[in-house]
Amino acid sequence: MRIETCYFCSHPVYPSKGITFVRNDAKAFRFCRSKCHKNFKMKRNPRKLKWTKAFRKSANKEMVVDSTLSFAARRNVPTRYSRDLVATTLKAMQRVTEIQTKRERAFYKQRMTGNTANRRAADRKLVEENQHMLPEVRARLQQTEAELSDAEETMQEEAIAVAIPARQRQAKRQVQAGDAMDIE
Amino acid sequence: MVQTTWKAIAPVPTSQEFLDIVLSRTTRKTPTVIRSGFKISRIRAFYLRKVKFTQDTFTEKLQAILDGFPKLQDIHPFHKDLMNTLYDADHFRIALGQLSTAKHLIEQVCRDYVRLIKYAQSLFQCKQLKRAALGRMATITRRLKDPLLYLEQVRQHLGRLPGIDPNTRTLLICGYPNVGKSSFLRSITRADVDVQPYAFTTKSLFVGHFDYKYLRFQAIDTPGILDHPLEEMNTIEMQSITAIAHLKSVILYFMDLSEQCGYSVAAQVQLFHSIKPLFANKIVFVVVNKIDVVKPEDLDEESQKLIQTMLQGGEVEMLQLSCHTEQGISEVKNKACERLLAARVEQKLKTNRATDILNRIHVAQPIGGVTREAFIPDAVKERTKYDVNDPNRRKLEKDIEAEEGGAGVYNINLKKNYMLDNEEWKFDKVPEIFDGKNVYDFIDPDIESKLAALEAEEERLEAEGFYDEEESIEDDDEADIRVKAEFIREQKQLIRNAARSKKALKNRAVIPRQKMPKNISEMKNSLEKIGLDASTVVDRARSKSRGRSVANRSRATSEMGGDAEMRDISMHDISQMTLKERAKSRVRSQSNRREDGVTNEGARTKAEKIAKLNQKKMNRMARQGEADRHVSAALPKHLFSGKRTIGKTNRR
Repeated sequence: MRIETCYFCSHPVYPSKGITFVRNDAKAFRFCRSKCHKNFKMKRNPRKLKWTKAFRKSANKEMVVDSTLSFAARRNVPTRYSRDLVATTLKAMQRVTEIQTKRERAFYKQRMTGNTANRRAADRKLVEENQHMLPEVRARLQQTEAELSDAEETMQEEAIAVAIPARQRQAKRQVQAGDAMDIE
Repeated sequence: MVQTTWKAIAPVPTSQEFLDIVLSRTTRKTPTVIRSGFKISRIRAFYLRKVKFTQDTFTEKLQAILDGFPKLQDIHPFHKDLMNTLYDADHFRIALGQLSTAKHLIEQVCRDYVRLIKYAQSLFQCKQLKRAALGRMATITRRLKDPLLYLEQVRQHLGRLPGIDPNTRTLLICGYPNVGKSSFLRSITRADVDVQPYAFTTKSLFVGHFDYKYLRFQAIDTPGILDHPLEEMNTIEMQSITAIAHLKSVILYFMDLSEQCGYSVAAQVQLFHSIKPLFANKIVFVVVNKIDVVKPEDLDEESQKLIQTMLQGGEVEMLQLSCHTEQGISEVKNKACERLLAARVEQKLKTNRATDILNRIHVAQPIGGVTREAFIPDAVKERTKYDVNDPNRRKLEKDIEAEEGGAGVYNINLKKNYMLDNEEWKFDKVPEIFDGKNVYDFIDPDIESKLAALEAEEERLEAEGFYDEEESIEDDDEADIRVKAEFIREQKQLIRNAARSKKALKNRAVIPRQKMPKNISEMKNSLEKIGLDASTVVDRARSKSRGRSVANRSRATSEMGGDAEMRDISMHDISQMTLKERAKSRVRSQSNRREDGVTNEGARTKAEKIAKLNQKKMNRMARQGEADRHVSAALPKHLFSGKRTIGKTNRR
């Protein structure tokens, strides 16, 4: 019994899980779930699908080159059982996993450096270009305008208010007059 | 390789058939339409072609027949003689000769008439000449009637001749008629030869094959021979004589001492002596058949003496068998084959090829005469043979099974035979999976050294500061910018969403701006959200709005107390206003939408013109414009009919 890896997404496949396809040349393909199986049947390339390990590895999203990764391997040399060896192996497994997670974290950090700077630059640029959308600025603008031309504005407003109704009244009168003419 | 069988000779047609074949071929393969109006050169060419083609076909067909039959001078003397006896070589040769002559005659006729046609003056002349030529060719062919018939018979007979290979290992069975030659062939080979109790059952040569020492032998059964001069022998007997004379073989001379065949012992011995000259350079056995009836020892002295005369010289050996009881058959066969093989090997050794091969054979020996013994381990040598009755015998797995309760109860423990460094480890339970990993993938004899190397590398990396993390702390300024940027993004998204929802409206009916319910609180909220002071605007709007219900109005007026003019209007009871008055009131007045947004008449006309112009293209292309309304089907067929396999009722 062993934990296989999914042929498509490299997810671990525990015994009794998933499905195996055996091609007529005796190559076995193990799939963790129907999603992977279906994608395989559709002849999709796992390297081109973002959700697979194959993609993440080929796109440098995960640690690929590291000494911790060479510990687990299928060795085709049968080793005779030794209790001491298995004991050390179990200890080593734990330690290797520990180191591996540590390095993966470091790898992630390394990969993400520069993101903060980029984000800040983008923020700065956005704020600079869109000053008018900020509430305080609007308020301030309106206030200053109001203070500067308080009297003038009121005058003008009154004038316009008077002018428009006057024009409308004239138009109405004309129409009425026209009607009257027709009657006559 | 000289040919030994002639099974694939093409059938020979009769003279009439031959003629039909050739003439029909001529009509089929040459042009048929000619008119007297054509140029004379063309007419001549047409008939020349006919004549030449006919001649070609004749020649070709005759040559094919001539080539198909074997040339007597090219084949093995045995076959040549056999053919001579069966078909009469002279007759055969003459028949072929006649065909060959006919061929030449036809060629001659063709040449003559071609020459004549060249000078023919009309179509009629040409045609007559062609007819004459073909007629003469046909006459020549008709004269071949007999030879063709004869050759066809020869062909049929040749095809059925047994495939006798004169050079292979051969046993030849001969003797008086009815002495048991065919019975012997039947008993040693798979050949299905007719055996009957009368003389001359076998009228021709028969061949059977059998294997001895993985080599293929052929046994030839010959018809019986009578003792009279060669000239008087008939065709049947001559076949035997031919075979005896020409085949390099072992000769088994069959004798019947019981005289059931109808010939006396003396006569049989006499025959042997008379054909003895043919046995030169051959291995000869005298085979006494039917020993179940009479054995050589039982004969009278006179006959015994006669038999002894045959065996004089020591080269001829006597063998005994009985086809009836099958006694001695295989001995005879083996003895004959053995002698034949020995003779053939001896003959081969005399040739140069054998010495060449012998010179090349080399068997290597260890240097210095050292003997190389096979290695047998001591454990194997000391091992005692297993004996069931021995009390100190080895204990087998079978014995353990019997002790532990027998088959079905006892389960063999394979682990006890494990070869490990420590006996205690045999029954250990080893984890296969640990922490989601396969333990067996990690098992490696030099894992410790590898792990040590990894630890060293880890220490080095830590010392180098590989794992150090740089925490960038953001100051107040940056935090401010971030908050602002987030706000702007949100606003932008809202604008985008609004635009999208507007677009989603498409050409559906839109509620006019005026009719849209909008209340002051919404305006106030949105203004406050963008940071504007909304109080003055709200106050103004409230003041301008039409009065509410009586109860609300009184509250409103008390709030607005100071505005005398406002109170004046509001106090005026709306319920008392006539409809006309209401329609004319300033509050309900509508702005003219045509004039909205344009400064003067000219600008308006210009705007209208531009609007028309813009619409022009849409109309021309029969595109959906602003004014088009689309009413979709109330029950779209594709959404409401059929079974649901995948998807939902309203999304398909």
